[in-house]
Parts: sequence; structure tokens; C-alpha cells
Amino acid sequence: MVLLLTVAAAVASSAYYRDQGALRERMEAQANADFTQQPDRHPHRVVHFGHFAMRPPSGLAAMDPGVEPFTGVMVYLEGHRQNSANFGDARQSSLLVRFGQLSPAFVLQAVAPLLLIFLGAGMVARERERGTLRQMMLAGASGGDLMIGKMLALGAAAAVMATPAVLLVGNLGLNGQVAAITGGMMLMGYGAYLVFWVVLTVLVSALTPGARPALVLLTALWALSVVVVPRVAAEAGAGLTQLATRLENDVAIQRDLRDMGDSHDPDDPYFDAFKRTTLKQYGVARVEDLPVNYRGLLGIEGERMTASLFNRYAAQNFAAMADQSRTMDLVSAISPTVALRRLSMTTAGTDLATYRRFIDEAERYRYELVQRLNRMQAESVTFKDDAAKSNDAAAEARSRVSADNWRATPAFRFPQEPAAETAARATPSLVVILVWLALAAGFAGLAASRLQRVAR
Amino acid sequence: MAEPSADVLLQVNDLRVSYGDRVVLDGLSLSVRKAEIYGLLGGNGAGKSTALQALLGLLKPQSGSIDIAGVDPRDRPDLARERIAYIPENVALYDHLSAKENVSYFLSLSGGSRTTAELEAAFGAVGLARDAWGQRVAGFSKGMRQKTAIAIAILRRAPVLLMDEPTSGLDPGAAADFNALCGRLRGEGAAILVVSHDLLGVVDLADRIGFLDQGRIVAEVSAKGPERFDLRALHDRFARARPA
Repeated sequence: MVLLLTVAAAVASSAYYRDQGALRERMEAQANADFTQQPDRHPHRVVHFGHFAMRPPSGLAAMDPGVEPFTGVMVYLEGHRQNSANFGDARQSSLLVRFGQLSPAFVLQAVAPLLLIFLGAGMVARERERGTLRQMMLAGASGGDLMIGKMLALGAAAAVMATPAVLLVGNLGLNGQVAAITGGMMLMGYGAYLVFWVVLTVLVSALTPGARPALVLLTALWALSVVVVPRVAAEAGAGLTQLATRLENDVAIQRDLRDMGDSHDPDDPYFDAFKRTTLKQYGVARVEDLPVNYRGLLGIEGERMTASLFNRYAAQNFAAMADQSRTMDLVSAISPTVALRRLSMTTAGTDLATYRRFIDEAERYRYELVQRLNRMQAESVTFKDDAAKSNDAAAEARSRVSADNWRATPAFRFPQEPAAETAARATPSLVVILVWLALAAGFAGLAASRLQRVAR
Repeated sequence: MAEPSADVLLQVNDLRVSYGDRVVLDGLSLSVRKAEIYGLLGGNGAGKSTALQALLGLLKPQSGSIDIAGVDPRDRPDLARERIAYIPENVALYDHLSAKENVSYFLSLSGGSRTTAELEAAFGAVGLARDAWGQRVAGFSKGMRQKTAIAIAILRRAPVLLMDEPTSGLDPGAAADFNALCGRLRGEGAAILVVSHDLLGVVDLADRIGFLDQGRIVAEVSAKGPERFDLRALHDRFARARPA
């Protein structure tokens, strides 16, 4: 059943992300075409025409979509504001999508351990109930032999469950969509995680008096690790570090923007001071006498100020999220499932850090684009034409700059993180899983040595 | 401590086991010679199960010694188990496997393998009907299960056999078959310890009988010689001594 589920998830997920990749390529090409095919235009109109930054899907997103369905993959870039990414499934669709997401990662993280428990809870316990455990011990089998044999049998079932995911990652690797180190690390993480559940299941089965108590105990451990701890970790993170809501952020930003000053208000003290400094710098008495378009300078200064404000709020939000993540890391040390989720999302490039890197790259691109247009306004459009363009068709025509400028604008490219850096970020999670595995194996060793006494 | 003679395959000397303040084995001593069946007779709580567990190396006595064909199970439990075959009251086998498959599996656990001819010879020796050899043991009677377990013991070539309540629940015919089988094993040189609470069953089977009470042998008689006529008296005395 889990094999079918994993196959279905792998096939559906890879087909979905293949379509998504093609769709994003088409949308990116369309957005680039729309931007570069603009006619001769006033630069500030281009600022408000906007552009799109598209995040290409990582190959391993088919394995683990991570936070992508919630954070989105595309950012609308425009002047005077920063936008979060949009067009995530969860943002576009109903709440049900969040619960109905079937990915190979979900199947292997949550469903596979449960099936291993159902298959293996009685493996040793039932031998004891039947009396064959004692027979085996007296026939010369050692506790270690018995437990290793049971683990190999259950491990074979786990390997079958994981096969579709291995094929998926292997195929992506062969197609050059996944670096060997990240793909390998992801598979190593899933492998160690499933082996952990195999060892834990046989261990509990060896320590409990019967198959039923073993099943109850293992199911409770599964619920704790897969359901309760991740939830508690998230709640603990949110409880200890408050993250402002979007509405709170919007209100605070608007308040700060108001306090910062209004470049359109001639009496605004900040911009009045800016004006006087600029005039002094150029040694002229009026903005009309400046060698550059004062409106362009205002645009540059205004964008610098709003961008720094937005960056500050974004940094605060991401810092709060990072705090929450650290809290989750601490709490999640008691759940290998949370560690695997981290490792899986990190190696898949669908984690929060990758999302932040995308937002940062998009913001850097947006800022450079808008400032280039503002400089264009300052240098290529005269103040006089700029001021008169609303009422004077000739001034309006002169205030347009050549469309060649849009065609010369470089497209947004989201660089892939070097595989070694991704692997380095994923290493702590892998270590947590391996520590859990080592603990389980250590206890299994002790249980094996006690099995003969238990066989009494 | 008695020195084991050359033909003694199982020697127990002054074995003591207690759980907290409760003494379960209180100086148990017995010996079983080659080609001998020894009946260890005791009531509930006499210490039979604890004695078996100690002999099988499943628990460590506080003092005393055990020698199984030259091996102390406390020092070398793995080697001791190679020299002893245990046939429990209810033989545990894998119901979904045939008799042959069960025998092959349990032999493989002790690192051995036998040819089909050897397997069939063992089944023949224990008197398991030929058509049952390939059948799943789910439908086997207690007697058939015992024969399967004894076939394993024969194939393991263990010189010492421990049998726990072997005739309990067997009909008279099956009990007679079982006794005949044990007689054949004895004839082949096996030392057999039969642990039971069934006096009449043991009298028919054993060469010597030890009465176990409160963790020690309170009397030991020959079951085949003239002493057997005192068995009823011994049994009555033994029965009176048992806790209600």
C-alpha cells in the first residue's frame, strides 16, 4: 500500500513539477517579453509597469515541495514597495490543499513509519507469545542474530517503500537536475530515518511482553514524533517569538512611511532639507537649474529610504522566523521526523532559507531596476519636460526614453545555491537523525543481550 | 560435591536459587547417566520450572554447579545448549510451516543442516506418519508436535534431553508411543531428564525418580526395581508435604 502511495506521489509530484517548470518558464518568458517590448516610455511609468521575478522549481521539489506551496514562487517587482512571493498553491486554493498535499516526502516521513510499525510490532513479541522465541534461543540462535534477522526483514519492506523515491532522485540526478551530494544526502537522511524506525520497531517488539502492547507503544511513539512534537515545536516557536501579521506589518510600515516624509509635499521637513542639500551640492538656487532632473533624484532618494524601511521590516520578520526555527530545532531534537523534514526541505531547496534567499535576490534585482529607472529619469528626462508632461504633448513625448533601454535590462536570474553549502546546511539535521539511529541501535544491542533472559 | 562419573551426562550439585527472600531451589542435586531416563517429580511450586531454567542456562543460580556433558551452562551457555535438547510441555512450532520446514529451520539456527534422507530417517525414528512430514503443523496434535521436536533433538545429536511434562494431555495410546520412543532414545545412549508432576506417567517411563520438594530432592528411588512398590507411599508422603 505504501509502495503504491509512494509511486503515486512520486509520479504525480514529478509530473506536477515538470508542468510547473514549463509553466514558470513560459510565464518568465512572457514577463520578460512584456517588459522588454514596452514602447518608448517615461521611466517612472516603467517603474510602475513592474516586472516579475520567477523562482525556477528545484529538481527535488518533486520529492519535497516544502514551504513552496505556502510561500509562492513569483514576486511582482515594482517601485516603492516590496512584495512577498505569490502564486503558491496554498495561497491560491482552499485550505484543503494544505492537508491534501501528497508528496513522496510526506509518504516516507509519516506513512511509511506507521506501516513499518504495523508490520513489525509483533515480530519478536509474537515469537514470545507463541513460545518460539525460547525454542529459537535454545536451538542456538543468539538474541543479536534474531534481532538482526528481524531488522533485515523489516528493512527489506522499508527498502521497497523507499524505492520509488530513490528512483525519482536518481533519475533527477542522472538528468543533471540534482547535484550528487544533495541528492545523496537526502537519500541518506531518508534511509537513516527509515532504518531508525525499523530498529525502534524491533527493539520495542523485543522489550514488550506481547504484540498488542508493542503496537500500542509504537503507535504512541509515532504520534509523538510525527504529529505531536512538530506541532508543539511550531507552537513553542510561535509562542516564544511573536511574528507580526501581514496587517500589523502593513500598518507599521505605513506609519513609518508617514513619519519618514513625503517627497511630494513641498513643506515636508526631510525632503525640504534634501532639496537644500542637493541645490547646495550643485551650487544652484532652484531645482530647475540643476543639471539633472530633480524628480529623478527624489525618486532615487525616496526609493533608497523606502527600501531601507522595507528591508528593516523584512529583516525583522526573517529574524523572528529564524528565532522560531531555532526554537523548533531545540524542541525537534526529540523527534527525528522534524530533523528529517528540515534535511529534506533543505536538500530539496524548498526550505525557508532558500525562500528568504529568493526574496533577497528578488529585492536586490528590484532595487537595482528601480534605481536604474530613477537614474534614467534624472539623467535623460529634463525637469521642465517632466513637470509639463501632463499638459504638454510635446513635453510628454520628449520625456519618453528609448525602448532600447528596456531591452538592455538584464532578466532576473535566481542563482542555485552551491551544492556544498546546501549540504553543509543540511548536515546538522542528518547528525540528529544519525544520533537517534545510534541510540536506537545501542538500545537494540542491549535488548538483544537480554533477550535470552526475556525468553524465560 | 560429587565427582561426575564417566557415564554421567547431566550432573547437578547443590544448586541454590532464590528470588529475594523466597528460596526456590535449596541445594538441588541430581545426576542422569548415559542411557538413563530420570524422572524429576514435583508438585506446583516445588521448583521444577526453576530447575529447568537453570539447566537451560536461562537463569544463573546463586550457587552450586551444573555439568552438561562436560560443559557448565553458566560459563558456556551456547555450548551447553548444543549438548542439550529441550522438549517443552507445549512444543512451539511455526504453524504456517510444514514439519520438515520447521525441523530444517530450527536446525539452521544451531548452524546445522541435514540431508532429506536424514530428516526422513529422524521422522521415521520418532514414528511421525509419513503423510504428516510435508503437512503444515497447524493441525498437529500435541503428540505429533512432540515427535517433531524430538526429531529435531535427534538430528541435533544432543546427548542430553530435557522434557517438560511430556505425557500431560496425551491419550494412553500416544503416551505409550511416546514412552516407546524415549526407550529407543535411551537405547541409543541419550540421557533423558523428564520433569513432571504425574507420578504414574513417570513410573512407566523413568529408570530413576527423584522427588522434588521445596527446592531439593527429598527422596530418590529406582522405578524399575523392587523399590517401585514403595512409590505409592512416597507419593502419599510427597502429596501431603505439598502446599495446598
